[in-house]
Amino acid sequence: MDTLTTIKSSLAQMTPAIVLILGGSVLLAASMVMKTGAQRDVYGQRNAMGLLSVLLIAIAGVCGWFRVLPTDLGNGLFRFDDSALAAERLALLGGFLLVLISWSTAPKNFLGEYYGCLIIMLGAIPVVGASNDLVSLFLGLELISIPTYIMLGICKNDNPGAEATIKYFLLSAFASSFFLMGLSYLYGVSGSTNLQMIHEALGFEGGKLTMLAVVFVLCGLAFRITAVPFHFYAPDVFEGTSLTMAGAMSYLPKVAGFVAMIRLLGPNMSPSTMSAVIPVLLVCSGLTMVVGNFMASAQNNLRRLLAYSSVAHTGYLLLAITALLRDNAEPNVLFSYLAAYAAMTLGFFACLAEIEAAGGRTQLVGDLSGMFYRRPAASIGLTVCLLSLIGLPLTAGFWAKFMVFMGASAAGMTDPMSIFMAVLMAFNAVIAAGYYWRVMSKLFEKSDANVPLRVFRPSLFLAYTICVVLTLVWFFVPAVM
Amino acid sequence: MDYLIPLTILLPLLSGSAIFLAGYQGRKLVPFGVAASLATLLLSIGVVYATYNGTPADPNSLATIAPTIEFAPTWLRIQLPVSVSNHPIRWQLQFGADGIGALMVLLTGIVSAAVCVFSLQQIRDRLHQYLGLILISESMLMGVFLSMDLVSFYLFFEAVLLPLILLINGWGNPKEALAASRKFLLFTLAGSVPMVIGFIGIALQSASITNPSTVDLEVLSAMANQQQREAVAGGAEMISVLATNQQWILWLLLLGFGIKLAVLPLHTWLPTTYSVANPNTTALIASVVAKLGVFGIIRIVLPLTPIGLASEAQILFASLGAIAIVYGALVALAQSDLRKVFAYSSISHMGFVTLGLMSLNADGMSGAAIQMFNHGVITCAMFLLLGMMEQRRANLTFTMEDLGMAALYPRISVLLVFFTLAGAGLPGLNGFVGELLAMMGMTRVNAAIAAIAVLGTVLGAWYGLRIVQRLMFGSDGVAKHKPAVDGLGDCASLELLTLASMALICVYIGVRPSGPMKMLEPDIAKLVKVTEPASKIMHPDVDTLAQTAAK
Repeated sequence: MDTLTTIKSSLAQMTPAIVLILGGSVLLAASMVMKTGAQRDVYGQRNAMGLLSVLLIAIAGVCGWFRVLPTDLGNGLFRFDDSALAAERLALLGGFLLVLISWSTAPKNFLGEYYGCLIIMLGAIPVVGASNDLVSLFLGLELISIPTYIMLGICKNDNPGAEATIKYFLLSAFASSFFLMGLSYLYGVSGSTNLQMIHEALGFEGGKLTMLAVVFVLCGLAFRITAVPFHFYAPDVFEGTSLTMAGAMSYLPKVAGFVAMIRLLGPNMSPSTMSAVIPVLLVCSGLTMVVGNFMASAQNNLRRLLAYSSVAHTGYLLLAITALLRDNAEPNVLFSYLAAYAAMTLGFFACLAEIEAAGGRTQLVGDLSGMFYRRPAASIGLTVCLLSLIGLPLTAGFWAKFMVFMGASAAGMTDPMSIFMAVLMAFNAVIAAGYYWRVMSKLFEKSDANVPLRVFRPSLFLAYTICVVLTLVWFFVPAVM
Repeated sequence: MDYLIPLTILLPLLSGSAIFLAGYQGRKLVPFGVAASLATLLLSIGVVYATYNGTPADPNSLATIAPTIEFAPTWLRIQLPVSVSNHPIRWQLQFGADGIGALMVLLTGIVSAAVCVFSLQQIRDRLHQYLGLILISESMLMGVFLSMDLVSFYLFFEAVLLPLILLINGWGNPKEALAASRKFLLFTLAGSVPMVIGFIGIALQSASITNPSTVDLEVLSAMANQQQREAVAGGAEMISVLATNQQWILWLLLLGFGIKLAVLPLHTWLPTTYSVANPNTTALIASVVAKLGVFGIIRIVLPLTPIGLASEAQILFASLGAIAIVYGALVALAQSDLRKVFAYSSISHMGFVTLGLMSLNADGMSGAAIQMFNHGVITCAMFLLLGMMEQRRANLTFTMEDLGMAALYPRISVLLVFFTLAGAGLPGLNGFVGELLAMMGMTRVNAAIAAIAVLGTVLGAWYGLRIVQRLMFGSDGVAKHKPAVDGLGDCASLELLTLASMALICVYIGVRPSGPMKMLEPDIAKLVKVTEPASKIMHPDVDTLAQTAAK
C-alpha cells in the first residue's frame, strides 16, 4: 500500500492528536511573545494559558467525538481500533485533570513552555495508541519523553529538581536506546516496520532473535511504566519535582507505556513466543508489586511513598497484560484500571496540591497530621482516593483490582502460576492497605498544628471534586473505557 | 411484597447516609434515625414472615441453596471485559432469602435497633453521625445476608468494613483506636482480598459446565452437588480429582471466613477491636459482623466446596474450634479487663459454632446455625450491659474492689445474671440449644474433639459467674467509685424494654426451639444432602459408636 495515501487518509482521524500537538506548539511559541518582568500580569497570563489549554483539550475531544471512523481498520501507519480510542480518551481525561491541577501550580516564569509541553505530551498519547508502525510508535513515545525533560527542568529550579531532571533524562535516553535496539531486531525478524506484519512474524515459531527483540522492547517500555528493575528513578524524580509534575509522571508515561505494550505484543502470538514472554512479564509483575509495596511501606516521605505505590500499581497492570496476551481479558480491563487510576492518583495529587497551595506542607507523611481539622474538604478527597487505592467497594479502585484478579484467575484455569500471581497480588493489596491506611490515619489524628488552611483555589477544588465524583460513580460502571 | 428485599437493604442505607451527610443539621434527625432502625426491624420481621410463607423449593432439585423469596431484576447485571475460553462474562446479580438468611436478617434488625436505642444514652458525642454509620453498616450486613450470588455477597462483605472502621475510630478509646482499627482493617483485608480469588475461581470453574459462567448460588450449588454425585459414582480417582480442584479455592475461602470468624490462630484482631471500640459498637461487631464468617461458610464453603472441606479442613477446623473453646474460656478467666473477658468469651462461644459447622451433619449444622442467632442476641445484650455499667463506673475492671452494683442497680444486675446464664448454656435458655446440638453433631464425627469442647461449658459457667459475682455481689462500693457520668440511676425504661424483649427471645428459643428450627430445617436438610456424603467418603473410619447407634 502506498504510504503517502495512508498517511493522508488517516490525517482526518488523527485530528485530536493534531489539534493537541499543533496547539501545544502554539502555546510554546506564545511563551516568546509573553511579557516577562515585573510589569506582567501573572494572573492574567496564567488564566489565559489555562483556558487555552482547556479549550484545546475540548476541541480535541469534540473532533474525536464527531469524526467518522472507517469500518475497515486498514494496515497503514495508524489504526483506529478500540485501544486507540481508549488511549485517546484516557489522555484527554488525564490531561483535563492535569491542566486543572496545573492552573495554580504551574511555574510562573515558564507558563507558555509548561502548558505547551503538557499539551504536546497529551497529543502524543493518541499517536502511540493509534500507531501501527514502529516508526510512528517510537515517534509518539519520544514525543512524550522530550517534553517531560523540559517540564521536569522548569518545574523546580533547585538542586533536587536538577537531580531529578538529569536522572530522568539520562535513564530515559538509556531506555530509549534499549527500545530502539529491540525495534531494530523486530524489523530484522519480520522485514517490515508495520506492526501487523510484525505480529504475523511473532505468530510463527520464533527463534532466539524474536525473544531477544521482545525482551529488549519490554525493557525499554518497563522504564516508562516504572517496572522493577527500571524503577529506581521514580522515587527520586517524584521527590525532586513539583507535585503536579509528579502527578503527570505517575500517569501519562504509564498510559503511553502500556498502550505501546498492547500495540507491540499483539494478539495471536505463537506458543513458543508466548512461553518466553509470559514468564518474563509474570516475574516482572511479581517483582514490581512486591518491591513497590515493601519499599512504600518503609517510606516516611510521602512523595517517595507515592512513587513506590505507583510502581506497585504497575505490577498489577502487568499482571493484567499477561491475562490480555492469553486472550482472557480485553484491553478494556487495562484501560478501565488506568481510568480509575487516573481518578484516584490525580485526585490525590490535586488534594495535596491544594494543601500545599494553602500553605501546608506535604513532603512527609507526618506533615498531613491532623489535616482533617485544618483542611476538611481536601482531606475528605484524600480519604476517598486512598480508599480507592486500597480497593474497597464503593470506589472505582475495587473493580479495577477485581478485573485484574478475574483476568489472572481466568488465565490461571490453564496455568496455576497465574493463580499464584493473583494470590500474590491479593496479599500485596493488603500490604498496600497498610501504608495507605497510615496516610489516612494521619489525616484524622489530633495534632499540635491546628491552624486552619483557608486559601481557596477553585481549579484545584474542581479537579479533586471531579476525581472524587468519578471515583465514586465508576463503582457503578465497572468497565468504563 | 416484591420490594421487601430491596427496601430492607435500602431503607437503612438511605436514612443512614442522609443523617451522616446532613452534617450539623443531622442533629435534629436523631429521632428519625432511631425510627428508621425500628422500621428496618419491622421489615426484617417481614422478611422472616415472607420466607416462612414463601414458595418452598422443588424437593427433587439438586440445588443445596434455594431462596424462598427472590429479587432479581434483569437490570442488576454486570458485564466485565474479561472472558474465559472466549465466553464473555455476564453475571446476573440477585437477592433472596432462605431460612438461615432470614434468621440472620432478623438478628441484624434486632441488634441494630437495640444499638440505636442504646446509643441515645451511651453516645455523648456526634450522636447523629454515630446513628448514621450504624444504619449504613446495618444495610451492608442486610446485603450480605440477602445476597444470592457471589458478587453481591462479596461486595457487601467488603463494604461493611468502611462504616465499621469509622465507628471503631470515631467513638473508640482515642489513644488506641487508630492502631486497633488498623489491625482490624488489615486482618479483615488479609482474609477477604485473597478470598475474592476463591470466589472468582468458583465462578470460572463453573464456566466449563454452564457456559457462560455464573455466580448464582443456586445454580452453583446444584452444580457442585451434581459434580460430587458423579465423582462418587466414578470412584476414588474422580473424588480425589474433584477434591484437588476444590482445595485451592477452599483454603482461600477459609482464610477469609476464618479471620472474620476469629478461628484460633487468626483471632488476634478480635480482643483488640472489642476492647478499644465503644461497647455499643462492639455489640454490633460481636453479634453480627463476627457471624459473617460463619454465615459465609454455611452459604458458600459448605455447599460449593464440600469434598475439599471434608478432605482437608474438616478435622483441622473442628480441632481449632475445640481449642478455641477451651483457650478462649481460660484466657477469659485470666483477664482483669472486663471488655477482654467478654471478647475472649466470644471467641470461646464461636468455637462451638465452628465445631457444629465442621461436623457436616444435620445436628451439628443446625446447631451452628441456631447458635449463630442465639449468640448474636446474647452477646449483643452483654455488650450493651457492659456499656451501661462502664457508664456508671469509670474505668471498670475486675481489679476494683467492692463493686457491688446489685444493690444500686437491681435491673441491670438481674439482666446481667440472666444473659450470663443464657450464655453459659443453662437449659431452658437459648444458649443451651445451639451448643448441645453442635456437640451432638461433633460427637458423631469425632468424639474426642467433642469431649474437649464439653470442658468449655464448665469453664463458661465459671467465668460467667465470676463476672456476676465480682461486679454485682461485692459489698456496696458507692462511696469509693464515682460514676463516669453523673446522675445516672438504674437502667432507664426504654433500655429495660429493649433488653427485656431480647431476654424474651432467649426464653422463647430456649423453651421452644422448634419455632426457629422449623425455619432452618429445610435449608439444613438440603445442605446435608451434599455435606454428609462428603464427610463420610473422606472419613469412613472416624465415625464413632454414636453413629452406628443412630442407625
